[in-house]
Amino acid sequence: MTSASDAESLAGGAEHEAAAKVEGVRKRFGATAALDGVDFAVMPGEIHALVGENGAGKSTLVRILSGVYRPDQGRVTIGGQDCSFTSPHDAIASGVVTIPQELRLVPTLSVAENLALGDLPVRRVLGIPIVDRARLRADARAQLARFDFAPDPDRSVRHLGFAEQQIIAIAKALRLRCRVLILDEPTAALESPEITRLFAILARLKDQGTAIVYVSHRLEEIVALADRCTVLRDGRAAAVARRGEFSATDLVHAMTGRMEQDERVIVTTPGRVLLDTDSVRLHAGEIIGLAGLLGSGAGRVLQRLFGLAHPASVVRVDDEPRRLDRPLAAIDAGIGMVPPARELGLVMNLSVRENILLPSLGHLHRVGLINRRAGDRVVAELMDMLDIRPRRPGLKVSALSGGNQQKVIVAKWLARRVKVLLLDEPTQGIDVAAKSQIHALLRDFVARGGGVLLHSNELSELARSCDAVLAVRHGHITSRIDRADGLDEERLHAAIVT
Amino acid sequence: MTAGKDRWLNWAGQAPLLTLVVLCVVTALMTNRFLSPLNLTNILVQSSIMAVIAMGMTFVIVGGGFDLSVGSTVALSGCVAGMVMLQSGILAGVVAGIAAGALVGLVNGVTVALLGVNPFITTLGTMVLVRGVVFLITGGAPVSGESGLPSAFVAFGSARFFGVHDLVWVPALLLIALSGLLHFTPYGRRIYATGGGREAAFLSGIPVERIIASTYIWCGALAGVAGVMLAARLQSGQPTAGEFYELTAIAAVVLGGASLQGGEGALYKSIIGVFIMIVLGNSLNLLNVDSYWQRVAVGAVIIAAAAADRLRSRS
Repeated sequence: MTSASDAESLAGGAEHEAAAKVEGVRKRFGATAALDGVDFAVMPGEIHALVGENGAGKSTLVRILSGVYRPDQGRVTIGGQDCSFTSPHDAIASGVVTIPQELRLVPTLSVAENLALGDLPVRRVLGIPIVDRARLRADARAQLARFDFAPDPDRSVRHLGFAEQQIIAIAKALRLRCRVLILDEPTAALESPEITRLFAILARLKDQGTAIVYVSHRLEEIVALADRCTVLRDGRAAAVARRGEFSATDLVHAMTGRMEQDERVIVTTPGRVLLDTDSVRLHAGEIIGLAGLLGSGAGRVLQRLFGLAHPASVVRVDDEPRRLDRPLAAIDAGIGMVPPARELGLVMNLSVRENILLPSLGHLHRVGLINRRAGDRVVAELMDMLDIRPRRPGLKVSALSGGNQQKVIVAKWLARRVKVLLLDEPTQGIDVAAKSQIHALLRDFVARGGGVLLHSNELSELARSCDAVLAVRHGHITSRIDRADGLDEERLHAAIVT
Repeated sequence: MTAGKDRWLNWAGQAPLLTLVVLCVVTALMTNRFLSPLNLTNILVQSSIMAVIAMGMTFVIVGGGFDLSVGSTVALSGCVAGMVMLQSGILAGVVAGIAAGALVGLVNGVTVALLGVNPFITTLGTMVLVRGVVFLITGGAPVSGESGLPSAFVAFGSARFFGVHDLVWVPALLLIALSGLLHFTPYGRRIYATGGGREAAFLSGIPVERIIASTYIWCGALAGVAGVMLAARLQSGQPTAGEFYELTAIAAVVLGGASLQGGEGALYKSIIGVFIMIVLGNSLNLLNVDSYWQRVAVGAVIIAAAAADRLRSRS
């Protein structure tokens, strides 16, 4: 015990002891300091939000608390006791449970087994531990009932949709006896009814005295939910504020050190028809949004246009009939796709340069050899234009932050000179600054004569950045709201639920 | 709808069994020698040793790994068992043979799980290394002593118990015990979890390194059991024994529907895979197919099985 914590426990008393506390923690990866002396504490019965731009150190801090990384310096205490976790198992044993951003479920196992993973109910037969399947199923049903969710517990998880899998992941974490619950971007892929349900559960846990660390990019959520909020910047705690003392704008200011730019939609006059299907007509200069509830098939509308669905659709692209039966056909027609998961859009162990040039390799060669200089020029231009950081084309793309990776995906289609960009949840899980850069980029793209179809679960994003939004149900477009008719979140919500 | 779909998929999961049945029926229709008691016994005995190896391989493959060293391990265990047996008796020999196999598994497991070396390279290395060790300790000559291995041990290779060959009892009992282990115990489920989603398992507090290492130890120990069985059958420890066994075992496990991605597979299915391999060889023999063509046929069947699996998972 150091004197600092002694002094505090004398002053504060036992009931003010932090459930989890981090003091002066430093963590370096190679030359970069991910955490540079962070202090952070979460009290029992408190929801403490953690915000910051990508690269500010949120994930590193979460991973230290959950035992994935060990700090180079500084101390971590859980319930007043010094902890040096060497594995996630240690953290779980101390009551620190984390729900990571990418769901960590085993797709080949059943719902029930995933829920109990690492802690299967056991009965002993002749002294041999045997998994108690009846209890396993019953437990699974009981846990999921709290979420009004009743899948077959024996069903394998890979047959469930993403939000359903997320419910499983959250239920799984809540199953363990936890003193500190860490949620990393829990609502990134959830719809509002599910978010409401999640918040109700968090409120209940808080009342029971659980300390909750809540990491999110959705600042409105944090303002509504968090008792306190710590803003990380450059690996340090830049600000800590109590509920009611901060607004979303304050948070952005603290995160970036500047004020959020007001995104103004420049309404461009639509040009020629770029894409014409029986349900969607996209003009040059237009950003059209796709909105739908979970499972509405809005993402599938995009997949169909990228040749990923059977049967293939025949679509007029730039006034030419095209049969889109595979991605190559779509790409040749001038359509690029930004998929919802960045791993689908990038070859993670290739460099930024190679990723950008991937779709264009066939166009950049002379006599069968890749024209290296032309490629370098294209890459340099695009990295400047999209502000991809760091400006190192040779860097492995996996080393980039989420926002920059997303820009690399856009860059690879710009290098290919596509006319239509299909974006499926492009801003999921990336920070505010990168998000607005991506929106600006799309505006710029359409201003140069491109067209964009944008699917997002965030209605506010669609309302802000689109010229028109199409509501989707069961894979079909049911209505259209134009900006001229007044495009706001409420109208969108009404359109997708009815 | 969803439960029905799962049930349908389970039906599709029985494709290996259907393949085996069709193979047997076709062969039986083409030659009456196939169903003779002698031939069926032959198939069972031939399958028994490979079945033990394939069960070990199933542990490793379900855990997301791969083991090429089992063939060499079979030879090592047979020779070690023989050498120790000649000095200190049957029991000591059997234990030493199995322990030698487990030791190879431990080396594989530690290298793969703790050092993070690719399983293909690791076990390719131990495959060559262990074969070298076998030649070093035996001087390249079969291990049978001056008056042969103990007669009680040799008898095990041909005796029957309740009318069934002793060698067949070994995989039968192991199948029951180890299926229970894999399917019903927490340890077994952790192997599936680790193979199906290593990261998820790790973050759920499962000691994935130890689990993976343990699958290689199982595989080595079971290859050791197979080596001892083979020594009993050959009445000697043969330094050249077990060549290409690793390929047959891996093929059988894949034929049985296990995924090389890990997390899927079952011991009984792997044994069905073994039967498919053995029955196919047997029927081609009975039908007097040229042995060069037999190799071509077996290779084609392996690829077809893997392709069928891909097509099924795509739909």
